[in-house]
Amino acid sequence: MVEVTAPMPGKIFDIKVKPGDTVLNGQEVLTLEAMKMEMPITATADGTVKSVNCKKDDAVQGGDVLVVIE
Amino acid sequence: MSEQPTHHSGLERLESLKKRAELGGGQKAIDKRHGMGRLTARERLNLLFDPDSFVEMNQLAESQAVDFGMQKKKVPGDGVAIGYGYIDGRLVFAFAEDATVLGGSVGTIHGQKICRIMDEALKVKAPLIGLYDSGGGRLHEGFFASKGVAGMFYRNTAASGVIPQISAIMGPCAGVAVYSPALTDFIIMIEGQSQMVITGPGVIKSVTGEDVTLEELGGSGVHSQITGQAHLVAKNEEECIKTIRHLLSYLPANNEESPRTVECTDDPFRQDDTLEELVPADFRKSYDMRLVIKKVVDNGEFFELLPDFAKSIIIGFTRMDGQTVGIVGNQPNYLAGCLDVDSSDKAARFIRFCDAFNIPLINFVDVPGYFPGVKQEKMGIIRHGAKMLYAYGEATVPKITLALRKEYGGAVMAMCCVGMGVDQMLAWPIARLVVLDTVTAVNLIFRKEIKAADDPEAFRQKMIDEYDHKYSNPFHAASNMLVDAVIKPCETRLQLIKALRMLKNKKRPEPFRRHGNIPL
Repeated sequence: MVEVTAPMPGKIFDIKVKPGDTVLNGQEVLTLEAMKMEMPITATADGTVKSVNCKKDDAVQGGDVLVVIE
Repeated sequence: MSEQPTHHSGLERLESLKKRAELGGGQKAIDKRHGMGRLTARERLNLLFDPDSFVEMNQLAESQAVDFGMQKKKVPGDGVAIGYGYIDGRLVFAFAEDATVLGGSVGTIHGQKICRIMDEALKVKAPLIGLYDSGGGRLHEGFFASKGVAGMFYRNTAASGVIPQISAIMGPCAGVAVYSPALTDFIIMIEGQSQMVITGPGVIKSVTGEDVTLEELGGSGVHSQITGQAHLVAKNEEECIKTIRHLLSYLPANNEESPRTVECTDDPFRQDDTLEELVPADFRKSYDMRLVIKKVVDNGEFFELLPDFAKSIIIGFTRMDGQTVGIVGNQPNYLAGCLDVDSSDKAARFIRFCDAFNIPLINFVDVPGYFPGVKQEKMGIIRHGAKMLYAYGEATVPKITLALRKEYGGAVMAMCCVGMGVDQMLAWPIARLVVLDTVTAVNLIFRKEIKAADDPEAFRQKMIDEYDHKYSNPFHAASNMLVDAVIKPCETRLQLIKALRMLKNKKRPEPFRRHGNIPL
């Protein structure tokens, strides 16, 4: 199981996966808005999305687990 | 009475000693290694060097220790093979530790052999490769072993900035066996096979009670992503050796030479219209700076170092016009490209390597500033950020900076600008070279006026537009000679190559002091 975490505080701008989706290492799973910029947050391993722990416009902290990949 | 030796008996004795040396810890141990998919020290060296070019030295050196069963355990070679040979036809020195002999432990002779090859490499000023596979100091030999170990550290330091030093961690390395590579320029690890720790899980458990595996503690994942100790990670031994050869191709033999220029098979004046699509003019949108770098350099080949550590900055070697160039680039895709403690360390050490070895620097800048936050301040962003300023300020190799979009605040100096001694400062037409982003600047300058205005929002917007038009562009900087040329994005490659060609014979002053005192 691999956790995709927020690298910095910000706002969830867009979510690109849902539980059950197959993802590849490096694939964009959501977009984080921070420092006045929209940045891709990518999967850190190949696998299936187990859970998405945030929704659009959520404010998140650095280190928060956003997506869990199995 | 012993028989008079003959040529024949001498050769026989030599053959038998060589055979013993080459067997290391014995055929059983070798078979076991092969079963694990691992190579022996000599197999690794043969793979590293051009075919049949490796010459082994001090093969018959063996431990002089007699205590604790050492007389029976000792093997000619003492658990390390040293020598020289050719890589792509260029002289290179190397040593490879042999884990089949007493776990590759650093005994007195083992350490002295490594020191010997380091001395040779320094004497003729050729690169040094270390293939580490050692459990640390050899306990059987007591404090004697420390002489060789200390000698390695001393020579690693003496060689720093004189010859390139590359280390590959081929197995679990602990204690003294990790500080020698830590003193070298580049470290390569192998996924799942190599670990680097100062104290192992056993000691940690007994002292702090923490339960951790060797891989969790010092595996390639830890060192390539968290500590920044491993510049590159290979999937297996063959890939590791190939990576060393590839890395060497970008480097000169020593600090008095320039890297070898290769024939450029890519049009130096090639234009690329796709750069404008790749880099959004909308500053809210991010992009992957790696793709920009690859579009600009020769044949799209970029040899990135530390790709998974401090990802807001990109460093690596490439060629332009056939000449080795060091690239430092901000990565807008990660932390908005902000500089932080780790990215400052990562860039500063790379800049110093390039400066030591006559490799020109090209900086691709899109940086909003230093990463804000209590954590960064308390981690010492002042001290760490200062390393980049120091490294660029100190560097006398050609320094070329290209501002693509954001050149904001203090980070401008950290990415090398006119005041920092840049040789050529270029900017794209969409670049903004400012002290602060416009909205923040306007809010600060006109705080009272905005409050007092009949329509504060309209007034704020008016001031934003005025400020943007006046300052948030490269033309204001160009009018002040803080930008040498505003260039078309499609001409990026050719403009950088023209600047590199012009700077080829840049005169570099002899160092006038022992060394400065970089903030560490």
